[in-house]
Amino acid sequence: MEPEPLQNGDSAPSAPVPAPPSKMSNLEESLKLEHQFLKVPFEHLKKSMRVNHRMVEKEMSAVMLTVAEVSDRDMSREEAVHHLTSLVSRLQGLKRKLEESNKTEQLQAQRCRARLDHLGMLQVGNQREWSDIRVKRILVDYMLRLSYYNTAIELAEHSNIQDLVDVDVFLEAKNVIDALQNKEVAPALAWCAENKSRLKKSKVYDIPVVHVRSKLEFELRQQEFIELVRAKNSMQALAYVRKYLAPWGSTHLKELQHVVATLAFTSDTECEKYKVLFDAKRWDCLVEQFKQEFCRLYGMSLEPLLNIYLQAGLSVLKTPYCYEEDCTKEDPLSQESFRKLASSLPFSKQHHSKLVCYISKELMDVDNPPFVLPNGYVYSTKAMADMAKKNGGKITCPRTGLVCNFTDLVKAFIC
Amino acid sequence: MELTTTIKDVFDRVSKKQRLSSSKTQEVIDLVEQEIEQVLSKIQQPPPPNGGETNPKAILAELNAKLKEFGPTNQLDSSQKDLNMALGKYTKVIDKTFITDIAKAYRSVDFDQHTLNQIIAAHFYRQGLFDLGDLFTTEAHEPDLVSLKAPFLEMYAILEAMRLKNLEPALNWARTHRDQLLLKGSSLEMKLHRLAFVEMLQKGGDARAEALAYARTHLAPLARTHMAEVQRLMGCLLWAGRLDASPYAELLSPSQWELLENEVARECCGALGQSCESPLHVAIGAGVQGLPTLLKLANVMAAKRQEWGAMKQLPIAVELGKEYQFHSVFVCPVSREQGSEENPPMIMPCGHVLCRGSIMKLSKSSNRAFKCPYCPMEATVLQCRQLHF
Repeated sequence: MEPEPLQNGDSAPSAPVPAPPSKMSNLEESLKLEHQFLKVPFEHLKKSMRVNHRMVEKEMSAVMLTVAEVSDRDMSREEAVHHLTSLVSRLQGLKRKLEESNKTEQLQAQRCRARLDHLGMLQVGNQREWSDIRVKRILVDYMLRLSYYNTAIELAEHSNIQDLVDVDVFLEAKNVIDALQNKEVAPALAWCAENKSRLKKSKVYDIPVVHVRSKLEFELRQQEFIELVRAKNSMQALAYVRKYLAPWGSTHLKELQHVVATLAFTSDTECEKYKVLFDAKRWDCLVEQFKQEFCRLYGMSLEPLLNIYLQAGLSVLKTPYCYEEDCTKEDPLSQESFRKLASSLPFSKQHHSKLVCYISKELMDVDNPPFVLPNGYVYSTKAMADMAKKNGGKITCPRTGLVCNFTDLVKAFIC
Repeated sequence: MELTTTIKDVFDRVSKKQRLSSSKTQEVIDLVEQEIEQVLSKIQQPPPPNGGETNPKAILAELNAKLKEFGPTNQLDSSQKDLNMALGKYTKVIDKTFITDIAKAYRSVDFDQHTLNQIIAAHFYRQGLFDLGDLFTTEAHEPDLVSLKAPFLEMYAILEAMRLKNLEPALNWARTHRDQLLLKGSSLEMKLHRLAFVEMLQKGGDARAEALAYARTHLAPLARTHMAEVQRLMGCLLWAGRLDASPYAELLSPSQWELLENEVARECCGALGQSCESPLHVAIGAGVQGLPTLLKLANVMAAKRQEWGAMKQLPIAVELGKEYQFHSVFVCPVSREQGSEENPPMIMPCGHVLCRGSIMKLSKSSNRAFKCPYCPMEATVLQCRQLHF
């Protein structure tokens, strides 16, 4: 991400130039951060495959079962014909559905491939463009997480990066989230059922947990129960407990008892312990919980990528000099909004001196060593030589106004 | 790059197995369907003239046995198993090659939503994505952020015009900001006139007279400060209409427009008191460079069960590209402390630089001469001068 040097007219400005070997390892390091980029479409693909396979399995088993059944019974020709015809049409229906789902799978696989190709382009293509696209990807991810769907879709379309972002995956979540915000649990429960086998195996980061039953389902059932209690449907509520909540008793007894006890209260109860269960904010918590399960399932980080990258970036850029009055505008931390975000982050650390010329903004290193004026102010050799050439051998310190001769300058050795 | 080549190979296998599996599924279904259809047509055949009603049971029993032997569900299962293996391999390879949890270094500090939205809106407007910015501010319920648009509208009007090969707005701007540009040593106005002049010349024929007139009006005043360039452009007059065959052919390249557009954008931003690069872009770029190191640090600290939370300074240095070096940071080679107001860098007569603290220590706080740690020269505290980077 270096500012590209101005080139002469004839070569195309964005001709791909492979990066020098010293930069290669940096680029590889930055690529390793892109786990989510590959994982999400792949999980989506696996899910489609799972759903398809289950459908085929189900239909085929049903067909086999029917054949076994009818071969066991005595039946007339008409009946037999009727059964067999329905089986044939069932199989034909299955083939049609499969054609559809195969197309979807193909598209999803294509997306996985497109992303692999995109990653491969970092080291051979235009890096500036690649970084630009990365910023856009990160912004789309942010929009999707905060449910700013229109902006996300518009940004993805405008920058032509639809294959590189996960709009469709998040739109699936949108249905569930919208329903939850309307106090409906049905889509959320359907989602849990759909992903049951995956949620059970969900590993919480690096700690393998053997029996992780999705707590989300339990929370959803609890909430539905509480709504029944709120509406004073005690009979329905009791039936609900028996059918949907009782199975959780073996693992979450205390919680179960707590929530069932709400039957003894009304929704406007003042008792703290139970008032909190009737709080409408629980719905917001459910939305949050769903979002987290969802992200975990697809291998996405819980926080938006923007937050993760910004936090890291601000911390490594943060120095006490950023907060000074004359901090250069090029430093993001010269801006109030960035300073605010960085306020609780740690400062960066340097092991070696890194000096920047006040005049040319270039690094003062072995190729361009620092020159010291009689008043202790320091500028780069190149800047001083330039100034002396244009001013008959005289130097004026831009910060103090002191005038001296180029020959009065002393080289500093920074170890 | 090997990273993606290996992974691509594994994914190729996934694709292959997927195709195999779906064709196998198709095969199995087709076969079962065929068998049933065969039996169906058999049963539907008119009964033989001499026999009675055919009992379908026997035929059906035959079908059942045949299907059972074929075992479609088992076949489907085994092809699925194959596919699952390929899927598992791919999952393993990406989990191994990439960092699965980049949020490990994330601190749970407050990242103010409103500030973040402000930054994003400013970024959109800065990049000229005005409609997108408006859409965002609406969706994020932050209508006042629209005011961030204003400073960039003029800049984008100028750039839009340039894209349509109209240099007028740009020239107007350059004229208005002439003093500022001269102070910075920018030759933007010259470059704009040069581009206009060359475009004019390219039209050939009568355009030469027009171009000459243009030169007299606009290039002449610039001759004082840009003599060499103006002379060069005068030379172009000889090649009116055939500049591509001249030694000045490069002036015709379309990239000249792009380069000039970038320069106009930079100067406009500078005049607005804005940075050349979007600050969001810079911050994210720094994050990309710094995150791998921070993640390693997080792992080490987790292993040692150290607290990630309330540190004032990162315990390790992160190497950033020089485009992220905005400030001079002096680190004393002896004490490894960063220079500050209380502990500034000081230069010794030999030219080596240490922080004041180290110098005091070496001199044992007296006025005795001490030897520089890096060369045989001696110095006293009074001979050392404070530096200002």
